Amino acid sequence: MKKLILIFATVAICLAAQAQEARAKKPTLMVIPSEAWCFNHGYTEKMDNQGTEVITPNYKVAFQTNSELNLVISKIGELMTERGFPLKDMNLEIKNMERINAMNRTMTSKTSGSDIVESSLDMLKRQANPDIILELDYTINQQGPKKSVSYNIRGLDSYSNKQVAASSNTGAPSFSADAPTLLQEAVLSNIDNFNSQLQMHFDDLFANGREVTIGIQVFSNSAVDLETEFDGHELNEIISEWLYQNTVQHRFNEMNSSENFMFFEQVRIPLFNEKGRPEDTKSFVQGLQKFLKAAPYNITSKVDQRGLGQAFLIIGDK
Amino acid sequence: MKKFLILAIMMVFIAGTTSAKKPKQENIRYDIECAGNGSQGTYLVKVWVYTKSSKLTSEVLKKYAVHGVIFKGYAGKTNCAQQKPLAQSPVLESERADFFNAFFNIDKAYSKYATEVQGSTERIKVGKEYKYGAVVSVSKDLLRKDLEAAGIIRGLSGGF
Repeated sequence: MKKLILIFATVAICLAAQAQEARAKKPTLMVIPSEAWCFNHGYTEKMDNQGTEVITPNYKVAFQTNSELNLVISKIGELMTERGFPLKDMNLEIKNMERINAMNRTMTSKTSGSDIVESSLDMLKRQANPDIILELDYTINQQGPKKSVSYNIRGLDSYSNKQVAASSNTGAPSFSADAPTLLQEAVLSNIDNFNSQLQMHFDDLFANGREVTIGIQVFSNSAVDLETEFDGHELNEIISEWLYQNTVQHRFNEMNSSENFMFFEQVRIPLFNEKGRPEDTKSFVQGLQKFLKAAPYNITSKVDQRGLGQAFLIIGDK
Repeated sequence: MKKFLILAIMMVFIAGTTSAKKPKQENIRYDIECAGNGSQGTYLVKVWVYTKSSKLTSEVLKKYAVHGVIFKGYAGKTNCAQQKPLAQSPVLESERADFFNAFFNIDKAYSKYATEVQGSTERIKVGKEYKYGAVVSVSKDLLRKDLEAAGIIRGLSGGF
């Protein structure tokens, strides 16, 4: 009897654990002021890009000095938290990255005094990567004594670089209300429309998988290229067939290819792998890597993730 | 035997007259429009109900305000943002008829989500019917949360 209870308890725990695992990775959301907003408010900095002067938004100063921006972002954050989506705070992310950079610069090994190895590519990858960027723009219009707010928020999917939700309007002009009140009103009257579009995007994710892009490249020292034949089939055909078998509803577009590269867009990867664990672009491409590593192909390759929604498989070496 | 026949005829007649006296279920129409920016968590809507009855309680206006927020949404106008219905499917009302019948007609749970703005009721005679209007504040956040908890609509974070 005890054994039976034990078996039942074990099965129940396993099922519960599986049910917990069978939840897709919750997308992270972060509000970022639009470039136009930064330029209009003078939050820019000049950078030297290999001899060319480039003007880029200076988010750090914007967050430190603009209280209206902070107010709008915290209001959006409050409303999104109510809907079960706490936002990543960009201001804190910037501070956190600066802290990590400072610590990495001073960190040395106890015995040899060697410092931390970090390539410029690593530093670039270490940046905040929200799944969906909420790009915010607003203007306070002044017509004589009347004030109104034009407000625009766009949800951009970092995987596909597509706009997945948007809401904009110009609020009622007011003689008496101050700018922060009008801004809060604008957030309140737009957030539900925005969220209903976001919901449609999530529904699409569940039905059709996550949309990502995948590239295949060849190392110069590789013994094989994409036209090398295996059992009468070129490697590019084999890769396309693997994608056909492993994408949701066989959905992917081969954009360009040659003997040295292939590029696929609108690749719909499942939200979960065969073990029921959340799938992302890197783990999906690792599946292809394992497939090519096995016989009869025996191809060594390297997976390089470039952002959340893009990964490259470089064949011929590590 | 004659007595029985007379009694039976009388009973049929009485049953016929009582059923004829039953008020017919009127097919009420309504419109919903934006009435301004509500406070946080609410929609401020103006609901217009068309009926042949010369009297209409504020409960009916509240009922259709909540019904409109769930199933119709409302169009935007100058300085007023458009809002989509809470229902994600156009056939939700018929799909979950049991729930909504109880919600609107038996338990009348809709009532706790709506507050009529005092002094906002209007009555206009249009042809053979009356058009009743009132501004109603609908607690849409609470309504959404309760519908999500009851499994009627899916939450934004559902599935994650």
